[in-house]
Order: sequence, then structure tokens, then C-alpha cells
Amino acid sequence: MGEMYAIETQGLTKYYGKDRGIVELDLKIESGEIFGFIGPNGAGKSTTIRTLLGLIFPTSGSGRIFGMDIVRETKEIKKRIGYMPSEVSYYEKMDGQELLRYSAAFYKRDCHSRIKELADIFALDLNRKIIDLSRGNRKKISILQCLIHQPQLLILDEPTTGLDPLMQAKFFDVLIEENSRGTTIFFSSHTLSEVQKMCRRVGIIKEGKIIAVEDIETLRKKQLRKVQVEFAHSVKSGEIECTGVIASKAVRNNLHFMFSGNMGDLLDSLAGKDIKDLIIEEPSLEEIFMHYYSDEKEQNKKAR
Amino acid sequence: MTIINTNLYLKELKRYRKFFLAWSISIGVLIVMELAFYHIFMDEDMAKMMATFFENPFMKNMMTVFGTNLDVLTNALGYYATRSAIYIMLLGTFFSIMLAGKILAREEHEKTAEFLLAKPVTRLEVVWSKLTAFLTYLFLLSVMILVSGSIGLEIFRGESEYRLGAFIIHSFYFFLLMLTFGAIGLFLSLLIKRGRPITNISIGIVFGGYLIEILSKVTASVDKFGYLSPFKFMDSGVLRPDYGLEWWRVLYFLGVSIVLIALTFVIYRKKDILI
Repeated sequence: MGEMYAIETQGLTKYYGKDRGIVELDLKIESGEIFGFIGPNGAGKSTTIRTLLGLIFPTSGSGRIFGMDIVRETKEIKKRIGYMPSEVSYYEKMDGQELLRYSAAFYKRDCHSRIKELADIFALDLNRKIIDLSRGNRKKISILQCLIHQPQLLILDEPTTGLDPLMQAKFFDVLIEENSRGTTIFFSSHTLSEVQKMCRRVGIIKEGKIIAVEDIETLRKKQLRKVQVEFAHSVKSGEIECTGVIASKAVRNNLHFMFSGNMGDLLDSLAGKDIKDLIIEEPSLEEIFMHYYSDEKEQNKKAR
Repeated sequence: MTIINTNLYLKELKRYRKFFLAWSISIGVLIVMELAFYHIFMDEDMAKMMATFFENPFMKNMMTVFGTNLDVLTNALGYYATRSAIYIMLLGTFFSIMLAGKILAREEHEKTAEFLLAKPVTRLEVVWSKLTAFLTYLFLLSVMILVSGSIGLEIFRGESEYRLGAFIIHSFYFFLLMLTFGAIGLFLSLLIKRGRPITNISIGIVFGGYLIEILSKVTASVDKFGYLSPFKFMDSGVLRPDYGLEWWRVLYFLGVSIVLIALTFVIYRKKDILI
């Protein structure tokens, strides 16, 4: 056996009857890294996670977590995992304290001080029944539940939905602290911007297949921006000439395009034009896929 | 290797404590009330007044369908095992099929399986722990039936004599009957997608089973169909001198239960839990 990965899958495939879940997934996640798992809804993120956790069984292929088989050695694996599902559903009649004690008791560990510590950080009242908690507070219970037994691997499925920005920031601080202790983090999300703050690498999944695994640094260099310029007059699609302008499209006075070049160059080429408004924003993930991962190749062909 | 996860087992007991208490107290109270009613029935000499009514051929047949006759009805244990059994058996089997039908499937339906199955427990441990919690409550309900029945019989039996042993055997058959319906509920709940509740199906199965058993007694020609229903395998002839445990009945109840529970293990071990 060679190097041991935190997560390693080979040709991992899951079909629900005829419906595609994931197809031939090959992933290698090193121990101690924070890995972003990015894809639009329905791409297969949750399917991947649930297969890794043994909630569902692979149609073909295999997976290992810390070298252990995800089907045969699932109990051993789970001793070392903290999992935070995307939708939080708990035993509603329990209160927070009861749920967390129940959760902790599965690991045969004393988690009291850690429960208190984390409840303080997230300002969570553990005496309220789960049914009475808001979505954000349930999410906090979920965060505590996956952290209290100090797992070696955290699997987080869209963990930030429902958390306000302040809590998100606290959550990220806690994750970074966990990671500094050596915890591997598998962070699934549908937005790149969310994970790029903390991940070293991201895997991008689309329609059940991994289409790219990139270093965040590499992606940042290829950073794509969505630009909309409103002119005082009607424009044509070739209005701006600057390297890095992709898929330019003119609608009356507006020019829409993707930009992957040097922002200074773009501003230079806009200077002196009669511009009423300028919007530069981060494109959605779909737009990155469409323009970067498929269109860029064609753009390159055209350029040659 | 442990097969029961104590943490899960205790939590299941706690989770269904109120459900169990509500049902077992109701059944216990009902048993005592039924026997008190027997006492009134005998005290008022209603049986004698009704004797001519019972001589009517139509009524006689009717009574046979319900597995009784006047001699049986005027005995405390006979009254309990034939008349009261209609409500009590239906209630007991409902309790059993409903508890077993939700104890496993509810985790999937309420999506808590995503919590539970991410913990260090195997699928087999999950089924064993939950099955044991179910059996614990089924056992406790049977104790409740035994206690309330023997107290009720002692207080309200009046002049009538009965064998306590016959009552215990009847209660044991009743336990096996409930076990069988529990196994049916557990097994069926796994076949329903996403663990949706099987309350309606359960009601159908219990009433359907009861109806088949009743109808099978109308004429000899349909008698064999009765064996489609677990109720047919109960023996309520508590006043027969030779009333005792019959191996083929016990074997039937245990066989059906063990096969269905074994199938539950096999299916659940490889089941995709869809959230």
C-alpha cells in the first residue's frame, strides 16, 4: 500500500435504478488538507458523501477512508468522522443537550467540556427542544454534533446554508483551528467563493463526474469575472478590445462579457469611453463552467 | 463483538416510553373492566335470562363464529378469552404492528437516519438494538396483560373456576400472535420507499386478518382459508380440559416471525437509505 489518503475513491459509481448519481469518481484527498467539493445542485455532491458514509452503496468502484473500505469497514471509519448533513433533521422532542449527549455516547468519549466550549462560541442555548429552534440554531446543533468527538475527518455538506455571516465567520475560525490540529476537512458547497477562502484544493463535479481538481491558487490566477458595462449609446459586441474578454454580448446600450485577464488592462481600455455604469461581479459556478471549462477551449481554438 | 448498541437501545426505549405506557395502561384497564362487566353480567343473572335467546339457532351459530357459547361465556376465563379477546387482541396486535412498523422506518422517514448511520454503528447493530427495544416493550405489555388479567379474574370471577395455567398459556399465545404481527410490521416498513408510515396498511392487515379468521368459521368449506390469518392459530378454547401449548401453533408463530425478522436483517444490511 502506498501513501494513505484521507479519502480515496476509484471509479466510484452510483446509479439509482437508471438515474445517474455519480459516475466513475476518482478522488484523492490528502490527510490534513481542506478540500472544497464544488458543484451545482444535483451534480452528485450529496450522493458522493452518502456513498462514502455507507448510507447508500456503490453500484461499482470502491472507496477508502484512511485506508479502510467504505462498505466493509464503515463502523471503524465512522469512529473517526464527523458528518454535517446539508439538511438538518433531528429527533425533534430532544433538546440540544440530550441530542449532543446521545451523539457523544456513540464514541465512548467524554465530550462535556467540548460541548460547553462550542455552545459558548456559537451562543447556543442547549436547553431548548430542537423542534422549537430556528433553522440557523439547528444548524449550530449540527455543527456541534459533528465536532464534539474530535474526529480526524470532517465531512461537511453545504454547511453554511442558514447561518448568518457572523456565525459563518465563527464557524470558519473553528474549522481552521480544527485543521491546524491535523483534521482533514471535506467541504461541499455550490459556491466557489465560499470555499476558496479556506481550501487549498477544490474538486469540481458536474453531472456526476469530476471535471477538474485544481489548486485554489491556479483558479485564482484564472480568475474569471462577470462584467456588465452600460454605455450612453448603443453598442456592438466588439466594443471593447482587451485580452481576456470572453463571450462578449451586446444588448442595446449594455455590453455583457466574461473577463479573465488583467483588471488594469480592462480599466485602461474602458477609460475615455462614455460609460454610465459598470458592474464587475463573481460569476456563478455554472458560468465559470460554461465559459471557462468548455468555452475557453473553443476560444483558444479560435484565437489560433 | 457486541450486536446491541446500548446507547441506541436505551434511546429507543425512552423514545417510545409514552407510546408504550398509553397502550399498555389502556389495555390493562380494559381487561379489568371487561372482567368487571362479566361480574355484573353474572350477578344480574343476565345469563339465565338470555338462555332462551341463546337457544335460538341463529344466535348459536353466531356465537360459534365468535368461538364461544353460553357455557363458555358464563365462565370468567371463558368470557375473557372469547368475548374480551375481540378488543384486546385487536388492540395488542395494533400496538405491536405499529411499534415495529415505525421503530426502524421512522429514522428514514424523518431523515434522522442521516444522523444515526453516520455514527459508529453497523446496520446489524441498528436492527438488533431496535428489535430488542421492541421486544422489551412487547414483553412488558405481555406482563401487563398477565398481571391485569389474573388480578381481574381473581376479583371478579365470582363462583366460576378456572385453571390459571390455561390463562397463562392463552397469554403466551397472545404474546406470540403480537410478535408475529410485529414481525410483519417490521418487514413491511422496510419495503415502503423512504420509510413512510404504514399506519393505514397496519390497520388493514390487522382487521383483514381478523375478518378472514371470523369468516373462515362460518362454514367448513372455507375453513382452510382461515389459516391465511395469524388469528386462526390462536387457541381460545381455554375451558377444554386438554387445553395446552400445541407445538404446531408455536412453531407457526415463531417460524413466521423468525423468517420475517431474518429477511429484515438481510434487506436492511444492503438497503440504500434515501434521505
